[in-house]
Formats: sequence, structure tokens, C-alpha cells
Amino acid sequence: MDYVYSITILISLFVILASSFNLIIGYGGLISIAHPIFYGLGAYASALLARDLGVPVPLSILSGAVFAMLLSVAMALPALRISGDYLLIASIGFQLGMIELIKNLRFTGGASGVSGIPAFLVPTFGREVYVALVIAVALGVVLLVRWIAHSDYGRAISAMRDDEQAFAALGRDAKWIKVSIFALGSAIAGLAGALYAHYFRFVTSEQFEILMSSTILTMVVVGGLKTPWGPVIGAILLQILPQAITFLNLPPVVLGPLQGLLFTGLVLIFMFLRPGGLVRAGSTWRAAGSGHGGA
Amino acid sequence: MLAIKSLSKSFGGIVVADNIDLEMRAGRILGLIGPNGAGKTSLFNLVSGLYPAHAGSITLDGQSLDGLALHQRARLGLARTWQHVRLFPSLSVIDNLIIGARHYPAESLVKLLFRPSLIGSAAKTIEAKAQDILARIGIPHSADKSVGDLPYGQQKLVGVARALMNDARCLLLDEPMAGVEGQAYEAMQRIVREVAASGVAVCVVEHNIAFIRDLCDEAVFMFQGRILARGSIAELIANPELTELYFGH
Repeated sequence: MDYVYSITILISLFVILASSFNLIIGYGGLISIAHPIFYGLGAYASALLARDLGVPVPLSILSGAVFAMLLSVAMALPALRISGDYLLIASIGFQLGMIELIKNLRFTGGASGVSGIPAFLVPTFGREVYVALVIAVALGVVLLVRWIAHSDYGRAISAMRDDEQAFAALGRDAKWIKVSIFALGSAIAGLAGALYAHYFRFVTSEQFEILMSSTILTMVVVGGLKTPWGPVIGAILLQILPQAITFLNLPPVVLGPLQGLLFTGLVLIFMFLRPGGLVRAGSTWRAAGSGHGGA
Repeated sequence: MLAIKSLSKSFGGIVVADNIDLEMRAGRILGLIGPNGAGKTSLFNLVSGLYPAHAGSITLDGQSLDGLALHQRARLGLARTWQHVRLFPSLSVIDNLIIGARHYPAESLVKLLFRPSLIGSAAKTIEAKAQDILARIGIPHSADKSVGDLPYGQQKLVGVARALMNDARCLLLDEPMAGVEGQAYEAMQRIVREVAASGVAVCVVEHNIAFIRDLCDEAVFMFQGRILARGSIAELIANPELTELYFGH
């Protein structure tokens, strides 16, 4: 049963990551590959605050999200002052630099990582309650992203993505909208990291490497960019498929590459045959409750 | 009133604004004519803040616009349209207008997350205003259409309507009549006249001389980034040197 709980939590965490990444790359049109490191920063911050400073776990989880958000603003602000293109370059440097920093700092446990992270809810109420909490957070994040996308703010995001200069000429401050979206998406990733840390109780920098951003991106692209439910389907599909393959009892030398091929193959197939993903976005933005698909 | 003083700008060796002095007065329509490459659209880009000027100053009702970004100038009441319309294709007609409100209520994510009720009430007022403007330009029934589904002339009208949402003190219209004919042409003339009559300083870049003649109180002739003449359109057309520069014969 523990296996099922672990898989359910991982799927829910990837739903959170894919949905928050969809907010950044899909709705916001911002290209970044630093999502894994914000996931990691949330995990490390919450783990260290709870373990080493005795901060109550609920507060440390929230602090993990806030820490990820603050660092995302520090990273995005200088890049977005110039142009959105610089965000990609900044995100590569930030992702690689932070991983090296975590690997080489003593208080982060270096390459060995952080173990003995205080558990949350599980010792008192059992694993089912923690699973329910993570599922509830995942659902909350999906609904939050959906609400934002179809709100008056979502209208502004759509317009900004269409034509930033024309948008600015109307008096709209595109830079702050981009920074806000990026900060919120990164904070949500940090929240996911903190939830991960207090369940699995061990984190290491290898879990947040740059390769993970391609996994999250694949979930968003296969599921459907700019749709609230697409990343959910993408995350579930791409978490279950690799797990299902393990039941084929293939030798590890075949299994590893096969799982890699699965991700690459799916991206290629979807790029050529269904570029909109499994759930397709509507061509025109609609306000919530208008009965149309969102843009 | 918008006042431009000694404005200069060049891109490498190409001078797009050469020591330009110009005033756009409230309630008046100023035509900006000249051959392609004269610097008309570049002047709009400099005034609206798309490019920074190398030298000179711009004031709107005495308030300096120097150093302000595109969005900051728009918030002070400087609205513009674009030669190639540049509507937002992912938004409907009404949403293209709503996003143009000078004080759009939902620009802050913090406000959306923590004070959503404030946004809701302001948005309703803006939507009512957008519907009113759509009725004024004669396409009230196209509110929910995708902008890409509209004929080009109506897209141009929506571009002007979007700029009107700003309640601007100065309106820059970049070739509003290019590709516009029939009812849209008449609607455009009427709207521009109404806007000017409400006290807005209007400046129109246009190759349609008939439109300029019928609409503008006066016009300036630009060539190679310089203003060569200012007067009524009849006076400018009667000048053989300007005609030769414009038409090349």
C-alpha cells in the first residue's frame, strides 16, 4: 500500500509542478527551465527550517514556497527588465548554479543531501491523510491556475502574450505581470518541493537536476498547453506509463533507455500529430463561466 | 496639448527625426503627411515611447514625458494606434477594448488574489464603456466575435476604439484609413471628428490625402526626418516642391 501512496503523492506533486509550469510557459509565454530548482529550493528550505531550526512543519512548508518565490523574483527581475528572451538564459544559469551551490554547501548536506526531515501528519494521522492533503493541494493549484487564466487578469496575460508592445502602449505594465506570474509559478513549485520533503524525508540535489524540466515540459506539452486540465492528464500519464513499464520485468539495461525513449517519443509524436496536446486550448480567451474553452 | 521640442533620433546613419519642433493642440486634428520613409511613424514611436529619443523633449499638458516607458506615457493619457492594427488575436472584440482601459483594474496579481471584489465591480463599468464605444463605431453586434473574423476595415475601427478606451488627451492615429472603405471609412471620419470635438489633440499619419483634407484642421509635411512645411492641406498640395518630394514628379 505504501507504494500506491508514494505513487499517488508523486503524481499529485507532478500535477502541481506541471500546472504551475503551465502558468509560466503556457499562459505567460515565459520560457524558463529553472522549475526543478524552485521545486528543490522549496524542499531544502522547508526541510532545513524544520529539522535544524525547529520551525513547525506547516510554517516551514509555507516558508519553502515563499523562499522559492523570493529567489524567483531575484532571478527574473533583472532578466525581464531587458527582454523575455533573457529569462531563458538566466534560468539556465540559475538552475545550474544553484544545484552546484547546494552540492557544495555544508548546511545543505552537500552531495549527500538532507536526511531525517521531520514528518508531517503521517505519524499522527497516517499516510492516507498526507496523501489526501497533497491531492487537495494539487486540486487547489489546478483550480487556482484555471481561475487566474479565466479572470480579468487572465485577459491581460493573453493580450500580453499576443503582442507585448501593443499591450504596453495601452498602459499595461508587461514586466510586472511577467514577474508576478513567474513568482507565483515558482512559489507553487516550492510548495510542491516542501510537501515532497516532509513525506519522503530525504532530499538530494540529484532530484532537482535540469533534466527534470524536460519531464515537466513533456507533461505540459503532451497534456495541453494553456489548458487547466491538460497538465493534469499529462502528469498522470507520464507518471503512470514509466511505472507500468517496470512491471514488464525488463532488465535494467533496457528499462532505463526505454523510459527515456518514452518521453522523447511522446514529445515527437505530439509535435507532429497533435501539437495542441491531448486537451486543446480554445483559440479565443473567455472569461470564467462563459462556457467556452480558454485561450 | 502635446509639445515636441528639438526631437532627434537616428538609427546608425539613418536620421528618422531631425530636430523636430511640433505642437498638437487640444480639440484640433493635425495631419502628418510625407513620402514613405519620411519619419512619420518613427515620430509616433518616439512620442509614444517605443524608442528613446537621442535629444529633445516631449511634454503633455506641461508634464514631461522624457524617460518614461511606453506604458507610463499611455497612463498619462497618450494613446496610439498602429499601421498594422496589432489587435490581440486571442481576445474577442470586446476584450480587445476592455484591455485598453487606462485604469485596467486587474493588472495586479496581488489585487486579484486578495481583493477580487474590487476588480469585479470596476471591470463591469469598463465593459459597459467598451459596449458603448462599439455602438459608436457601428459594430455593437460583433462584441463576442474573434477579431480575426472581422473584415479588415472593421479591425481598423476596433484598433481606434481600443485607443479610445484610454480617455486620452492626445491620440496618435497611424494610417487609420489604409485598407478601409465604405461604411468603415465614414465611421472612421465621424469617430475622429467626435474625438477631436471632445477636446482631444489628434494627430493622423495618412497617405489618403482626401481623408486628411476633409478631416484635418492643418497638416505638416515631413521628409527625411524633418518638418518641411506646416499649413492647410490645400497650401501644402499647392507647393510644387513638396508635391515633387511626395510623388517624385
